[in-house]
Amino acid sequence: MLDSIRNIFSIPELRKRVIFTLLLLAVYRIGGQIPNPGLSATALQEFWQSQKGSLLGFIDLFSGRNMSRMTIFALGIMPYISASIILQLLTVVWPYLERLSKEGELGRKKITQYTRYGTIVICLIQAIGISIFLQALRTPAGAPIVLNPGWGFKLLTVLTLTTGTVFVMWLGEQISERGIGNGISLIIFAGIVVNFPTGLNKMVSGLRTGAMDPLKMIFLGAIMVAVIAFIVFVERGQRRIPVSYAKRVVGRKVYGGQSTHLPLRVNTGGVIPIIFAASVITIPATAANLIKVPVIQTVAAQFGLGMPLYNLVYIAAIIFFTYFYISIIFNPVDVADNLRKYGGFIPGIRPGKTTSDYIDDVLSRITLAGAIYLAAVAILPEFLITGFKAQALPWIGPFLEANLPKFITQGLGVEFMFGGTSILIVVGVAMDTMQQIEAQLVMRHYDGFMRRSRIRGRRG
Amino acid sequence: MSDDMPAARTVIFSAKLKTAFNRFRGVPVETDLAGYARTVRKIRAFHETEGFVRKADEALGRLAASLRRRLEGELSTEDGVLARIEAFALADEAARRATGLAAHDVQMIAGLAMADGKVAELPTGEGKTLAAVFPASFFALSGRAVHILTFNDYLARRDAAWMGPVYRLLGLSVGVVQEGMDKPAKRTAYACDVVYATAKEAGFDYLRDRLAYEPAELVHRPFDAALVDEADSILIDEARIPLVISGNAGAPGADAGRLAEVVRDLERGKDYETDAENANVFPTDAGIRRIESLLGCGNLFDPENEMLLAAAHCALHAETLLERDVDYIIRAGRVEIVDEFTGRVMDKRHWPDGLQAAVEAKEGVRRGSEGRILGSIALQHFFRLYPALCGMTATARTSFRELKEFYGLGVVVVPPHEPCVRRDLPDVVFTHKVPKLTALVDEIAGVHGKGRPILVGTSSVRESEQLAAALKDARVACEVLNAKNDEIEAAVIVRAGAPGAVTISTNMAGRGTDIKLGGAGEEERDRVAALGGLYVIGTNRHESLRIDSQLRGRSGRQGDPGSSRFFISLEDDIFERYGLSRRLFKRHRLDRRAGAVDDELLRKDILHGQRVIEGRNLDIRRALWDYSTLVETQRRIVAGWRDGVFDRTAQSDAPFYPSPELLAAGSARFGREVFDRMARRAALFHIDSAWADHLAWLADLREGIHLVSIGRNEPLREFQKAATEAFLGLQEKIGYAARKTLESFVGREGPVDLDAEGLKGPSSTWTYLVNDDQFGWGVELIKGTNIGFAAGAAAFAGPLFVFALLANRFRRKKAS
Repeated sequence: MLDSIRNIFSIPELRKRVIFTLLLLAVYRIGGQIPNPGLSATALQEFWQSQKGSLLGFIDLFSGRNMSRMTIFALGIMPYISASIILQLLTVVWPYLERLSKEGELGRKKITQYTRYGTIVICLIQAIGISIFLQALRTPAGAPIVLNPGWGFKLLTVLTLTTGTVFVMWLGEQISERGIGNGISLIIFAGIVVNFPTGLNKMVSGLRTGAMDPLKMIFLGAIMVAVIAFIVFVERGQRRIPVSYAKRVVGRKVYGGQSTHLPLRVNTGGVIPIIFAASVITIPATAANLIKVPVIQTVAAQFGLGMPLYNLVYIAAIIFFTYFYISIIFNPVDVADNLRKYGGFIPGIRPGKTTSDYIDDVLSRITLAGAIYLAAVAILPEFLITGFKAQALPWIGPFLEANLPKFITQGLGVEFMFGGTSILIVVGVAMDTMQQIEAQLVMRHYDGFMRRSRIRGRRG
Repeated sequence: MSDDMPAARTVIFSAKLKTAFNRFRGVPVETDLAGYARTVRKIRAFHETEGFVRKADEALGRLAASLRRRLEGELSTEDGVLARIEAFALADEAARRATGLAAHDVQMIAGLAMADGKVAELPTGEGKTLAAVFPASFFALSGRAVHILTFNDYLARRDAAWMGPVYRLLGLSVGVVQEGMDKPAKRTAYACDVVYATAKEAGFDYLRDRLAYEPAELVHRPFDAALVDEADSILIDEARIPLVISGNAGAPGADAGRLAEVVRDLERGKDYETDAENANVFPTDAGIRRIESLLGCGNLFDPENEMLLAAAHCALHAETLLERDVDYIIRAGRVEIVDEFTGRVMDKRHWPDGLQAAVEAKEGVRRGSEGRILGSIALQHFFRLYPALCGMTATARTSFRELKEFYGLGVVVVPPHEPCVRRDLPDVVFTHKVPKLTALVDEIAGVHGKGRPILVGTSSVRESEQLAAALKDARVACEVLNAKNDEIEAAVIVRAGAPGAVTISTNMAGRGTDIKLGGAGEEERDRVAALGGLYVIGTNRHESLRIDSQLRGRSGRQGDPGSSRFFISLEDDIFERYGLSRRLFKRHRLDRRAGAVDDELLRKDILHGQRVIEGRNLDIRRALWDYSTLVETQRRIVAGWRDGVFDRTAQSDAPFYPSPELLAAGSARFGREVFDRMARRAALFHIDSAWADHLAWLADLREGIHLVSIGRNEPLREFQKAATEAFLGLQEKIGYAARKTLESFVGREGPVDLDAEGLKGPSSTWTYLVNDDQFGWGVELIKGTNIGFAAGAAAFAGPLFVFALLANRFRRKKAS
């Protein structure tokens, strides 16, 4: 670990990039401390407290908690991502954009430019919405959040939030271009990781006041490390199907091991299935808020955050969405066609349908493992805090409550520092960035060679 | 560059503004030549005041010799500038005496730009050969070895003979390298101050040097300065084609002849399908079963049938995608590849091994030699071996980005000596091919009737022959110039400007062809000029706009009158291949019709389509560049090891030197000197052999690396990782193999014959260029890396994104 850090800093190019990235992330964090003017901080906090676990909570997570604190970066990087998605959509339906996208570098530059304009438009709309929303907002206690409502506040908010997002977008692009890793991902990453010290602080103070059992704390730390190791392990997990390309006839084939393969990841869908599941599972609660019928209220209560039915349905939804999402992004028939088109084949398996069936088969099996893994990661932190609230289950609840061990029914009662989604994102971005650094480190081997082997001007 | 006219001042001012603006936008094109023009005036003045005109030849030589001594020493910046002025003035005078040519200002400006290490754009017919003499003699007088890399052997020979006396007046030696010269002759040529050669031959010689076992076998001196003629073509179009040296015939492939028979009967659509855009073909399930039953080999995809499957693929590719008289011609019982850019038969060009054999089997011609690739270098990387690189061409402007990106070369645009008055007429667009041909024949017959000379540029050998036949039916006499009869090229071109001449050509009559108005002696120049000069007709748009403008550039040279026009149909190959045809028809609501479609929007759309294709090709080149750069880094390292063994001046720290124990044992057994020689041979042999194996492995790795994007990895990164891992083991492998060989010698009874042990270079080597992206491999690399982005984006706008993906899939289903 220390060794690789030393390596990073011993390559001037890499050192420059890493430092540049850290500096820009620092700028992002500093900006994230500046509140949008004209708001009552305490009232705001009260409001967000009541929104924990809802979809708004998710959105807040991705904005790096800038949303709940209503900083100048409240809109975060999201409008930019929405804009790129909308542009991608438009590329499908609008021939002009489609042509641009196929036009090589210049076309791509133009599309990036349009994405930026789009970001500003989305920002404006969202900022107007937020400013109106904020003016109308009351805390549960009924206090207004905006101190001096009116057009002045709206204009100021729109200007501040739009400028903030454009600046964040610029930071992200600069990181992608001149730093290391993907700037947009890293900004999200930074937003999540900053909660780490706060969580740690809470634990330490808990320890000091005696609210937390030191043994429990060690146990928790161990689980934390184990979970992260497990995530890294699974995220790296691939099933490699060997592939041969039978186009070249090489006089003598020399193999340094199988060089070509089709890598199928255990977790192809990444974090997306969890997000889909989470957005679906909030529907009952939202519905109950709107329709005040007792029956629905009862059902909705069963679906409340941390309730057993909630957990069960959540798990089922994650597994379903894992398969659903993979079926959208990964088409075995396309892959088989691609292989066939360029003369590739899986040894012993005929191209075409046989191949696509084979790929589908392998993918379905490893995806089951991937889906269970995702569900486990998503549910585990929740489980650790509150346990499996068996009591609340109809009919069998009391029985389970009485017979299951305490740490299952009541959890450990400690706050896990991250939610499952956060860990997945953090680990994912970190692994990706590490890979990029690694790629640069790989090139370092050559510097060594170049120095050692005394390359002369003579004959190159 | 006189600036005494007010109009000229405005021009210069606007050029200045443009350059400043370009610099601001980061565009490395210079159009502001005021600085160069000032230097030219100084050169002229120096020439005048020193009275070069009155000096004897010997005095000129003495001046050059003293300048050379000064240039070889340390010079201050100021003195350097003065020395350059003197060198240019001397070259000017020498050129005037030796060839009778007085250099125009624009030629000197181009020369200055090249001496600055830039690419000079000098319009067609402005005398690039002479312009090159200035920087070449300047470099040579500075004690640098100069290679002038020409477009072909003929030009190298011609230019060296033509300009040789100029250099000799300056006391510089001139050499020519031609293909097929023997080693001593080449060595003598390369030892000269200024060497004319083709880039390819210089590259091949470099590869051969890299396989030498004794210093006496080397032909090259260290690389120093290179001046590339037709820079855009050689540095960009051809640069991605690897030069390859191979030797030691490998195991013969599967029976290509039988496979050629088998695939001949297959039917398109039923037994195989093609994808025209990427030039790929693949058998359908029915086709596979048919091949299997005809061959009686069982499951073709079983591992033991791998060689057979590969050969079958090649046979199918050769049968369906490579067309005789378009992609290749048969001449003297040999398959000769026609270059897409130049329309010429490219000497020593091969397809990758299996494919070449398959084409030979298809045409029933004698099998050429097959072998293992021993060394390879892309021209792109070869040029980078020269510390100083510059070039000239008529069409650099449109490629400035690539020249900057790949070579760090800036572009200087030099205006013509006489302004160009050629009229480029708008395209005549047809919906399909038949009316295009009719209109072409009518147009040619009409213009021909008035006696105006016409040059027609077609896209393939076959098309040129078809058009010639149609003209013959219309009783228009014409000459045909294509890859099949390139021996009459010079004679045809001399007549092409004569009154009433009709010349049908392929891309051959593009670059480098100088058509003089009025024919051989230019007797009837005025008559032809009065008729409107040379009329250039293009029958197709090309994938690269530069090729089109090269064709236009045959007309209107040195201020001559002339005009150019393209006749195109939406059914032309270029539009079909990229699926533009269907889209253009739909977009402009066209139906097939007999007449031309006169629609400015359609023309714009066509031009746009051409740009799209260019952009795509650039993306592919860039992807290939990224991959080949790593391989080139590895190659240089291995070359460094080899040099270390080869020179062995400081013996003990040379790589792969035997351990002290082995050295002691070996020296005791054979004597120190003999054993040293053995150790050297063993190391060289195993370096070459390990490198050849590594190259084969890399080719294999590259083939399927795009698949890693399925696992959300970046292909390039994974390639770098895997290739580096394999490379890191290489040194140890070589060391181990060399030690084992030596130990076996030491431990053996009786004498050791190194040659009999197989420790020798290949018995015969041959060199060729590989058309490497025959299989459309590059395209896959630029596609399909967006899954990572998809994952990130979906995290935010999940449902929206699902909708996008669904829409995309729906659309794709509809499209197919």
